Amino acid sequence: MFDPRTKLLLTLAYGTLIALTRKPEWLLAEWSTLVVGIVVLGQLKPYLRWLAMLIPMALFFGGVTWWTTDRATGQAAAMSLMAITTTFFGFFASTEPEDLGNSLVHAGLPFPVAFVMTAAMQFAPVIGRKARAIIEAQQARGIALKPGWRALRNYPALLTPLLIQSFQMADALAEAMEARGFGRSGRTFRKVYHMRILDWLAVIAGWGSIALVLRYFAR
Amino acid sequence: MTESQIIVVQGLTYQYRQTSRPVLQDIDLEISRNDYLLITGRSGSGKSTLCRTFNGLIPHFYGGVLTGDVFVAGTAVRQTSVTALFNQVAMVFQNPDAQLFCRTVEQEIVFGLESLGLPRRAIEDRLCEALDQAGIAALRRRDPQTLSGGEKHLVLIAALLALRPQVIVLDEPFANLDPANVLQVRRLLSDLHAKGCGIVLCEHRLARAAPDATRVVVIHEGQIAADGDPHHILARAETDWGLEIPLANRVGASLGLAPAPRTIEDLQSIPPHATLIEALEPRLPEPVDHQDERPAVDVDHLCCHLAGRSILADISFKLYPGECIAVVGANGAGKTTLLRHLIGLQRPTNGRIRIKGHDTARIPISDLARDVGLAFQNPDNQFFRLTVDQEIRVGPETLGTPDNAWIEELMALFHLEIVRSRAPYRLRGGEKKRVAFASALASRPTVLALDEPTAGQDFEFRRNLRALLRQMQARGQAIIIVTHDLTFAERTAGRWLLMAGGRLLADGVPDRIMADPDLMTRAGLETTDRFRLTQLWRPKDSRV
Repeated sequence: MFDPRTKLLLTLAYGTLIALTRKPEWLLAEWSTLVVGIVVLGQLKPYLRWLAMLIPMALFFGGVTWWTTDRATGQAAAMSLMAITTTFFGFFASTEPEDLGNSLVHAGLPFPVAFVMTAAMQFAPVIGRKARAIIEAQQARGIALKPGWRALRNYPALLTPLLIQSFQMADALAEAMEARGFGRSGRTFRKVYHMRILDWLAVIAGWGSIALVLRYFAR
Repeated sequence: MTESQIIVVQGLTYQYRQTSRPVLQDIDLEISRNDYLLITGRSGSGKSTLCRTFNGLIPHFYGGVLTGDVFVAGTAVRQTSVTALFNQVAMVFQNPDAQLFCRTVEQEIVFGLESLGLPRRAIEDRLCEALDQAGIAALRRRDPQTLSGGEKHLVLIAALLALRPQVIVLDEPFANLDPANVLQVRRLLSDLHAKGCGIVLCEHRLARAAPDATRVVVIHEGQIAADGDPHHILARAETDWGLEIPLANRVGASLGLAPAPRTIEDLQSIPPHATLIEALEPRLPEPVDHQDERPAVDVDHLCCHLAGRSILADISFKLYPGECIAVVGANGAGKTTLLRHLIGLQRPTNGRIRIKGHDTARIPISDLARDVGLAFQNPDNQFFRLTVDQEIRVGPETLGTPDNAWIEELMALFHLEIVRSRAPYRLRGGEKKRVAFASALASRPTVLALDEPTAGQDFEFRRNLRALLRQMQARGQAIIIVTHDLTFAERTAGRWLLMAGGRLLADGVPDRIMADPDLMTRAGLETTDRFRLTQLWRPKDSRV
């Protein structure tokens, strides 16, 4: 419906709102709104999986803030982290990285920069699978690599092959891209991206509403 | 240079930056659009290096020292960038995962067309055409990383097809594919060749690649050892080329047949020479007699469910000391999942696994690793020490079972003394595999489990591995091999477990299993050349 750039600008607006909100009840409301959006997008299951990883981090962050300041600030810090990362989760769940990259190229970003950004997202799960395969290969030799203090001294058994293979993969990727014309001048795009009136209206309405909310309520 | 000649190589010598001597020497070669050219030779002979000169990756991407010239459609590659040649000579590399860098199949195909600077209408037309030609229209919105090995190769070929190149070069495309996927890729390549696209196939598995080729070039120690008609070349193949000549060609050469047979089926009209098969093929292993012996592994009604799907269903078998069994089946049959259960990387949903009589359900992986030595397909996943010697000692040191004498014995057995001080990552493919197998055996496990040990490996490696496994077997080692390389499986294991869709379809002698066409079809496998010829030359009433 919207151009990827519009979605990015709206995401940044919402992120700004969250970052500037101080009241925990408002942060909760902002986060709940996002969760409703994620349910509508049909992304609840992956979101819950992702949340399971995020919650310990948010608790740690909130705990440290509470310890150094006060309880309310600690709560707000934990809620802010949850809500801001949820905003970006929603953005990436609704926007193909290639669409984002290509639309930014239309806005003047050099293609190689946009491509590196999208390829990094594409290869994150590939590296994740590689890490799992390495962990299993080492476990099969009796080397414990499950999370925990005892496994800490064994981490070179994971990190060394992972690093070396990541470099090898980067080399192979560069070679494959070269062989498919990456970097050739005069590139065209299958999809054309336009910021239509609707997009501009959405951006203005989004940023305007956030300015109002911040001015009169959330702080 | 004639009109159909696309690639001309003249006096090419090339040396990589980090090597002390040239990989290619004095290569002269012309490739035309009419060629279905098979470039073959043992691992490390220089095949892949030669292919990388065809589109300018050598010297532009790799550097190094290049003398002589390579011309593509009359233009010297040295004076042209890779991106200027990519739509004339298109290349598929060995590892598909690193070449698929887009989110969907159609974006993968569109990438090259956008690089070419085509207008949107032309991009759409060529996208649809390539999807149809490769027969992958149904996959257009799928993430390429989630596809099977064969599908990934089809996507890569489609991405190149869309560019309408004059020649497509493929570097070992069959290395990790099962027979059904190989057939799918071969059909597409033959179609393309019939439509006027030149094909250059780099492959050392001749039985899979030679039947479709119109020309063969053998690279031996960096030089062209032979160039010409496949039948003539394969009929006079030198043994020191390190190639396994397909059985049909060996029979044809032995009997002086003209025209030379291309496939086993071409030998149908020849009077039977049953003793010739014994003379040409290695002796097959006998099933091991294991009366009253305690099994090393006892798998009892093993079931595995993952995410609501049945991955393994009711698998039962026993493996005895001194026995070697091969688990055979197509990609996705559940073979590797079965191996993962043996070492506890996966736990049974139902059923039991006993190793030396002990139920493994509650034994941690670190303890199971003492009894099961598992070598995965990719040895790079395990290397993290600075030398081969240290790498092999990792397992015993971690498990607290160091045994210097045994490590030295393994070093000798796997011919690793010469590389013991070298970094494992710097070794060649076959050497890395040998280090991984020696590591798996370093803790003196009861069972040695090998996952696709021959994938991407040449004839010499396969022959040497067979000899090694026989030695281990003679010492009482229980061995289980997972593979879809049936020729290796029949020469190594006297007993097969045939798997498909997570089920054990058959457990028995290879010839009995292959004699059931229904079973083989359900498993998505093809019988071996030796088996087919044996059947062909046997009187009808005595066929298995």
